[in-house]
Amino acid sequence: MSLKVDRAEVAFTFKGGMLPMTVMELATADPERVATQLAGKLNQSPAFFQHTPVVLSVEKLDAPHLALERLCAVCREHKLLPVAVRGGGDGIKQSAWALGLGWFPPQEIRAAAPASGEAHDTGAEAAAEARENSEAPALEGGRIFRGTVRSGQQLSAPHGDLVIVGAVNAGAEILAAGSVHVYGPLRGRALAGIHGSREVGIFCQELHAELLSIAGNYKRLEDIDVELLGANVEVRLSEDQLNIRTLV
Amino acid sequence: MAKIIVVTSGKGGVGKTTSAAAIATGLALRGNKTVVIDFDVGLRNLDLIMGCERRVVYDLVNVIQGEAGLNQALIRDKRTENLHILPASQTRDKDALTMEGVERVLDSLSEEYDYIVCDSPAGIERGAQLAMYYADEAIVVTNPEVSSVRDSDRILGLLASKTRRAEQNMDPVRERLLITRYDPNRVDTGDMLNLEDIQEILAIKLVGLIPESEAVLRASNQGVPVTHDQQSDAGQAYADTVSRLMGEEIPLRFHQAQKRGFLSRVFGGGRR
Repeated sequence: MSLKVDRAEVAFTFKGGMLPMTVMELATADPERVATQLAGKLNQSPAFFQHTPVVLSVEKLDAPHLALERLCAVCREHKLLPVAVRGGGDGIKQSAWALGLGWFPPQEIRAAAPASGEAHDTGAEAAAEARENSEAPALEGGRIFRGTVRSGQQLSAPHGDLVIVGAVNAGAEILAAGSVHVYGPLRGRALAGIHGSREVGIFCQELHAELLSIAGNYKRLEDIDVELLGANVEVRLSEDQLNIRTLV
Repeated sequence: MAKIIVVTSGKGGVGKTTSAAAIATGLALRGNKTVVIDFDVGLRNLDLIMGCERRVVYDLVNVIQGEAGLNQALIRDKRTENLHILPASQTRDKDALTMEGVERVLDSLSEEYDYIVCDSPAGIERGAQLAMYYADEAIVVTNPEVSSVRDSDRILGLLASKTRRAEQNMDPVRERLLITRYDPNRVDTGDMLNLEDIQEILAIKLVGLIPESEAVLRASNQGVPVTHDQQSDAGQAYADTVSRLMGEEIPLRFHQAQKRGFLSRVFGGGRR
């Protein structure tokens, strides 16, 4: 079952996606030097410059002000399409927005976020609740939790896999950008591939899940074959369908 | 220093107040100086269960707001030595309680008593959170039904995060499960969740199991905590619970259906 409720009624659907994106790492704030180098590149590989979307990264610069408008103009002259800016302070963020560009936080901060162990897309209360009995060592953006995830708690690994050593009780919710592994009974809701990854799975030792979801395609408890309840299973996505198979 | 025990559940009507009264009475009967506090401001019940409703003058809210001294508000239990009751206000609401006020009251009681039993209101809002905030131990009262188990699960999550012990990274609140209204016959027929299932979901240590008993309703209406009725199964089960709270190892009783004898079957003898 997928989120396509009724094609005729729905004007659009939001989908998480990971698109390949060219990042232009600026080593200088001088638009003229950028223009010179771009002109050289354009001669070498004209095929690349076909209104290619780029993200301008200003992380390596420590200039508080930036001739952002001029830089964008230089890019467009060379058939690059700036779509967003990454890094820089508040001033750069504001000017990016003023130019109709998106803004991303610097990469260091985003990489550091999962190490702090807490989910930022959850309410502060839920995040704090799950804190106490977790040991949560960060593993390349993944996360390990020992203990019982209780009703009302929400636990997430926004950058990797989530491993629960213990039970996930009814009314609890676990989310991961990658796969979800539960070494214990899964009675709550489990969502894998929350940013759209389809090549991920949900694994648990005892299936009683209220909801299983991979990349937005979901199955409710009611849709799960009763034969599979209580079983040790693997859940994968194929052709917008969740497939559940028992593991020996 | 007193040990602060909160009796909580999330769900209403599972037997928090009955259990708080019975446990506080049991602790006092065993020689511990005990005070039981009603945190259910606005829905005062503990005084009825303890049979002291005609002697309430001042209450917890008066003490917190400085309108009365602690000793003016404490009611001495008539039946049990060493036992005092601090009633809730019936005319105010839970916003009348403040974190600092509650801490002040608990601190001064701590100097004099061995045990402080806090009877929490139902729910997970401010009143319940204040009742649990300063606790050293929690008794989570659960009925053998799915909704009660889920609410207890939710409360356990809060105990692990919204208490002083959690916020200050002290040793966690010691969580204990008290199952009430357990009817082994209905468990056997599948009407009720069984003990093992409840324990598996909540994953905390069992401190007691109170069987469904006519003695409990009778005790409530008479205003005599059921611990005094040592002829009844529920009274004995609460006494066992108190022993376990005090660190004794006692085998579990009343969790298996009684085989009814011939006479009992013929004459239809009921439970006590």
